[in-house]
Amino acid sequence: MLYDLVIVGGGPAGIAAGVYAARKKNKAVLITESFGGQSLVSAEVQNWIGTKSLSGLELAQNLEEHLRGQDGIEIIENDLVTKVDKTAGGFSVTTREGKTLETKTILVCSGSRRRKLGVPGEKELDGKGVAYCATCDAPLFSNKTVAVIGSGNAGLEAVHDLLAYVSKVYLLNRGEAIRGDAVTFESIKNDARVEVIMLAEAREILGDKFVSGLKYLDKKSNEVKTLELQGVFVEIGSLPNVEFLGDLVKKNKYNEIEIDALTQQTSQPGIWAAGDATTVLYKQNNISAGDAIKAVLNIQEYLNKNK
Amino acid sequence: MAKSVVIYSTPTCVYCKMAKEFFKKNNVSYVEHNVAEDEKAREEMVGKSHQLGVPVIDVDGEVYVGFNRSELERAIGKR
Repeated sequence: MLYDLVIVGGGPAGIAAGVYAARKKNKAVLITESFGGQSLVSAEVQNWIGTKSLSGLELAQNLEEHLRGQDGIEIIENDLVTKVDKTAGGFSVTTREGKTLETKTILVCSGSRRRKLGVPGEKELDGKGVAYCATCDAPLFSNKTVAVIGSGNAGLEAVHDLLAYVSKVYLLNRGEAIRGDAVTFESIKNDARVEVIMLAEAREILGDKFVSGLKYLDKKSNEVKTLELQGVFVEIGSLPNVEFLGDLVKKNKYNEIEIDALTQQTSQPGIWAAGDATTVLYKQNNISAGDAIKAVLNIQEYLNKNK
Repeated sequence: MAKSVVIYSTPTCVYCKMAKEFFKKNNVSYVEHNVAEDEKAREEMVGKSHQLGVPVIDVDGEVYVGFNRSELERAIGKR
């Protein structure tokens, strides 16, 4: 069987694409590990247009429900696209669970994932004091000393979440300036338990069974220093999920897929992309959804021309 | 035979909520411990899982860290 469209991903972009593709009566399939995208873990989302406030889980459930309410869209869940090959009629898409699908077009809505530090000890102590979800795991660090690495909004919010439980938080920032919103930084910096260390580069996470310390390079003095602590929360941005595309599409130096801003087309005819996996300037749920819709509408023109 | 399921969770953890919904949907009853408040349960969880992340899910003595739908489907014999 030959699909018109394979949608890769189940975040806001993928779901928006699925809804529009179903209404356009495309022979489309959406492949995703899970629904909702990266906002899933947010305690509260206040900027999803049309809803004053909802949790990340509710947002995910609403998106899933909206997609399942469409006739004619096929859904493959608990699976992941691992490879795309060019064929005579379009593309061949391979999944982790061993499915192979033939399609005329692809819309990549695969989003991004958390960037890791890549220092010794991080992998070994993952879950043993090294954590990536402050909202989830903060209570487990009651009365402990922890570090948050990264001063973007995610890092600042992690500090905020942790302050409800911990006795001390170090906020380590690699650069000279705090990258997150000034309002959020103001709300945490006057807490006596917060110590901000600028120009600090994490070097190693120490510990045997559990985290016991963090080594960092103090770039002011060029000395390696050690902090005694029990937890390290890593909040240093994200990496686009584009490995499955190989060299099929052009990417920028951050590995984001280059797109034409008017149509969401990639450098590869027949492949479109939307959302956080792309060079889009602003990584936002609403923008991802809108861009994916733009792509699906442009895909209609392509399908009509290539009947 | 009915499975014995224990979930160690925190109130703010979305994967804990997803795990609980998973068991409800599959009509599997469970006991939940809020490790944000229950220190004894927290120690028990760390002892079982040797780590500090939630959720920790104990299905008949088999311990799962995090919410992995396909793993849990296997654990309750759905796959």
